[in-house]
Amino acid sequence: MNILETKNLIKVYGSGETAVHALRGINLSVQLGEFVAVVGTSGSGKSTLLHMLGGLDRPTAGEVIVDCKPIFSLEDEALTIFRRRKIGFVFQNYNLVPVMNVYENIVLPIQLDGNEPDEDYINQIVNTLGLESKLNTLPNQLSGGQQQRVAIARALAAKPAIILADEPTGNLDSRTSQDVMGLLKITSQRFGQTIVMITHNEEIAQLAERIIRMEDGCIMGGGQ
Amino acid sequence: MMIRVKNRKVIARLSRRNLQHNHTRNAVAVFAIALTTLLFTALFTIAQSFIHTTQQETFRQVGGSFHGGFKDLTLEEKKILETDPLIRQSGGRLMLGMACGNNFRKVHAELCYMDQTCRKSSFCEPQHGNAPKEGSKEIACDTRILRCLDIKPEIGAPVTLSYEIGGMEKETITESFRLSGWWEYDAANNASMAILPRSYIETVLEEHKPDFTDAANHTGLWTLDVFLDNSLHIEDTMIQILESHGYQGENPNAENYIGIGVNWGYAGAQMAARNDPETILGIIVLAILIILTGYLIINNIFQISVSGDIRFYGLLKTIGTTKKQIRRMIRRQALLLCAIGIPIGLLLGYLCGILLAPWIISSINDNIKTVTHASHLWIFALAAAFSLATVLLSCAKPGRIAAKVSPIEAVRYTETSSLKGQRKRSRKKTNAFWMALNNLGRSKKKTFLVVASLALSVVLLQLTYTFATGFDMDKYLEKWVVSDFILGDAAYFQSNFQGSKQAVPKRDVLAMWEGGEITEQGMIYGTKTGVLEYVTEDLYREHFSGTDAGMLEEMLESETRNEDGKVPITADIYGMEEYPLNQLEVFDGNLTDLYQPGKNVIAAVYLDDDYGNPLDFSQWAKTGDTVKIHHVYEWEFSDAETGEIISEEKAKTYHKEINVKEKDYQDISYEVVACVLVKNAMSYRSFGNHQFILNADVYQQNCRNSDVMAYLFNTTEDDIAAMQSYLENYTTTVNPALDFESKQTYVNSFLQYRNMYLMVGECLSFVIGLIGVLNFFNAILTSIYARRREFAMLQSIGMTGRQLKQMLICEGFLYGIFTIAVSAILSVLAIPVMSNTISSMFWFFTYHFTALPLLLVVPIFAALGFLLPLVSYRNAVKQTIVERLRMEE
Repeated sequence: MNILETKNLIKVYGSGETAVHALRGINLSVQLGEFVAVVGTSGSGKSTLLHMLGGLDRPTAGEVIVDCKPIFSLEDEALTIFRRRKIGFVFQNYNLVPVMNVYENIVLPIQLDGNEPDEDYINQIVNTLGLESKLNTLPNQLSGGQQQRVAIARALAAKPAIILADEPTGNLDSRTSQDVMGLLKITSQRFGQTIVMITHNEEIAQLAERIIRMEDGCIMGGGQ
Repeated sequence: MMIRVKNRKVIARLSRRNLQHNHTRNAVAVFAIALTTLLFTALFTIAQSFIHTTQQETFRQVGGSFHGGFKDLTLEEKKILETDPLIRQSGGRLMLGMACGNNFRKVHAELCYMDQTCRKSSFCEPQHGNAPKEGSKEIACDTRILRCLDIKPEIGAPVTLSYEIGGMEKETITESFRLSGWWEYDAANNASMAILPRSYIETVLEEHKPDFTDAANHTGLWTLDVFLDNSLHIEDTMIQILESHGYQGENPNAENYIGIGVNWGYAGAQMAARNDPETILGIIVLAILIILTGYLIINNIFQISVSGDIRFYGLLKTIGTTKKQIRRMIRRQALLLCAIGIPIGLLLGYLCGILLAPWIISSINDNIKTVTHASHLWIFALAAAFSLATVLLSCAKPGRIAAKVSPIEAVRYTETSSLKGQRKRSRKKTNAFWMALNNLGRSKKKTFLVVASLALSVVLLQLTYTFATGFDMDKYLEKWVVSDFILGDAAYFQSNFQGSKQAVPKRDVLAMWEGGEITEQGMIYGTKTGVLEYVTEDLYREHFSGTDAGMLEEMLESETRNEDGKVPITADIYGMEEYPLNQLEVFDGNLTDLYQPGKNVIAAVYLDDDYGNPLDFSQWAKTGDTVKIHHVYEWEFSDAETGEIISEEKAKTYHKEINVKEKDYQDISYEVVACVLVKNAMSYRSFGNHQFILNADVYQQNCRNSDVMAYLFNTTEDDIAAMQSYLENYTTTVNPALDFESKQTYVNSFLQYRNMYLMVGECLSFVIGLIGVLNFFNAILTSIYARRREFAMLQSIGMTGRQLKQMLICEGFLYGIFTIAVSAILSVLAIPVMSNTISSMFWFFTYHFTALPLLLVVPIFAALGFLLPLVSYRNAVKQTIVERLRMEE
């Protein structure tokens, strides 16, 4: 089953002579539970693609279908709500809320939706990611790897349809990068979680089940 | 050794470029600087105008702006003194006499010659026409004299005037002059002036040869008004001048005495500075308040912009910029902003000062007609210096922060870097309110500054309101007002009651019944002759404490003692009818017996301070004491040489020395039954003698006098206005010798007084309120602006715009709630304390707690707390989420 699908996705920034064609008609599908890596050099359009997949930006043309739902038919507010229920983000710079402790950060998307967190499930995630002793700590007190683990936990907490990870190891040293990648992989397997990750690091990308290569706004391979 | 490098230019360029980046911040900063400057300029302008105008006002009351004057000089003395090197400029005045006749009963008008300097410094320079020409019979005078004579002011109009010359032996001369010029009469000055040519005066003096030795009317004597080098130590300098010419100015009874007068317009200003710490303190407190508010906002702006640019400064450091250079960069930016902000502020402040000062000053005193704008350079210089200091003070700390940042940390620097440690696992649910609370907790100091500046304006408003509403009209009126109306001779109201000449005729008292219904009324009898009390020698000495010791003993020796060995001194006795008796404040004893006509009982009058506390030194008699009064009914006058008896009438104008002997008199003992306070409005209005009160009938019988000093009466509410106009008409047309005071007179003066303070306070709280709102706006705007990326991140993990706005509005409301809470606490704690200080300054102040201003502020804060975040948010989220997420620099 395709949990994520794009149809002829086009994004053009600017117009006329200065127009930048960031995406030139991307067709892509991701299966439920798959761990996909998108690799490419900077300027290849991989970040733009990720933002489109997550509904953070609207395409010039084409559609993204998440969990059978064409997301760009939604209004902004509805899209935000859809995002917090169906999509989890992991950013290169973690993007944690500095005034909230680890636990509060993790359950924030659930609480924003007005729901009570599923404590068993949260405990499971926390244990998997090794954050048990850090729950009351503020993000600034954590190392980069720990902060990224919190970000992964936050992305998992709402049981989203997909997790979109944008260079999750970009700010980490190689050993920590390996740890975080290992955790992402375990997560994918243990919770059956679909993950789409972008990276420019081939070595990191090797840990994914499938690799999609991008160049100049086009998919050069692995897009099925 | 430091190596000097030419790097100033590049630093300057960097500051300028960096400045150009921050349009919003610049606008807010320039606005704040301009506002601070405006406040300083306005404060100094108003203060200076106030001092200047009150000084001018005093000069007008005194009748001149000169530093001082030597009095009653002969022409020779004048010529000697005026050449003294210590005198910078001098003006002479030769006195002829006083205008007399019916037209001048209520007006004190002097006829004299003045030279040009004297005319100018005495405000007697004709505004129309010229000063009288020498050798002519011209006259120049003020418009009041012309009004009294019913002459239309026209050059060349004939002016016929009677005047008195001489001292004890007065001579009346009537003369016709031609009007050569006139000037507007200034109500501030009691005396009117008419200027005559010196040649005319000298001719008159030649013909009439008045007695120069008796200076009572100053006829033929000169006054030398002088300006010294400066206005410090005027009296000392003048005495020094006298001594250097062999005169002295201390003992009037000794040889070579020349009297001096110091213009208390100057003394007053210096005294005020020395004796009025409240005013000085008030100005200092205001200045500090302005510095503080200015600091709060400017500091905040720089702090935020520095945190925003911290990576930029880190970058500069990595490429080798020194701490000093970074500090200089920030200071330079501040100075550039000052260069724009301060001139704007000065200009606005100057305009405000010009607009406000006359308004404020005129509300203090109706009589001040011309307000001098004190647009002195020093005001601008001072205001500019103060705001510059405020700005430099405000950007010092942000400068240090920027300079201290390490290049590595700068990259990771966020405003939250101070957050440390753990937070207990909290609420199951998160909502906008808790998130907002956490956000304010991020930078407690900044939140505190915003709340403090807002609370300051609220507390000030609260204080102003408490202050103004605390001005207790009843308390004020209770002190001053006795009855709806008081009728008396014009002289009585000028504190110059002299006895039977100024008594209110009974027919005028009866005429009051025609003005409206009289509900309560009563007469106060009084006399200035023939009443003496017997006192101990000590009290006698105290009474004449100003007199030379040898002379005093001589006087004491010659007094006739009574059987107790006591000596007589003059006393003031009132005879009061029931209504005035009711108005007395009894603080010891009982007045009951005083209401009965048959008893020889008396009440002792004490003076009181502003707060109604009796002053012990003002009276010796206590309840139960016996007061012995020596009533003199008739005197015998005889020629000192021949012993020939002369009549009292004749004695008044007798040319030779006369002996006076008591012919008919009586000693009566009275028992003191009460000690009382008499309100000023119904008193003799002059002090110096011990005062006592008798029943009106007892008074008339024992003093053999029935002169009405004052007639007090009340009318019905409906008739007040009618009575007021009846009295106005009566005292100008029917009997112009009389005058009156009404409750309205005092109500007006009270309202005027209160409005002045109210207005100043309102201006102040408005301005500080404005600063508070600006600070609020600044805090919200910048905090939202600084968190644009964080908001994008929150949106990316699913926080909707609605939820974000809710959170921001909560932050706005929280600022409001904190402010109200802090203001309420401060109000409750501080205002009663301050009120104590105020009531010690203003006796008619009563403290009431009121929360009204606080309640009024709530909806304003609610509106601001709601609107400001919405507006700022809309601005901040113009960019897309992706754009904002990428804002990493």
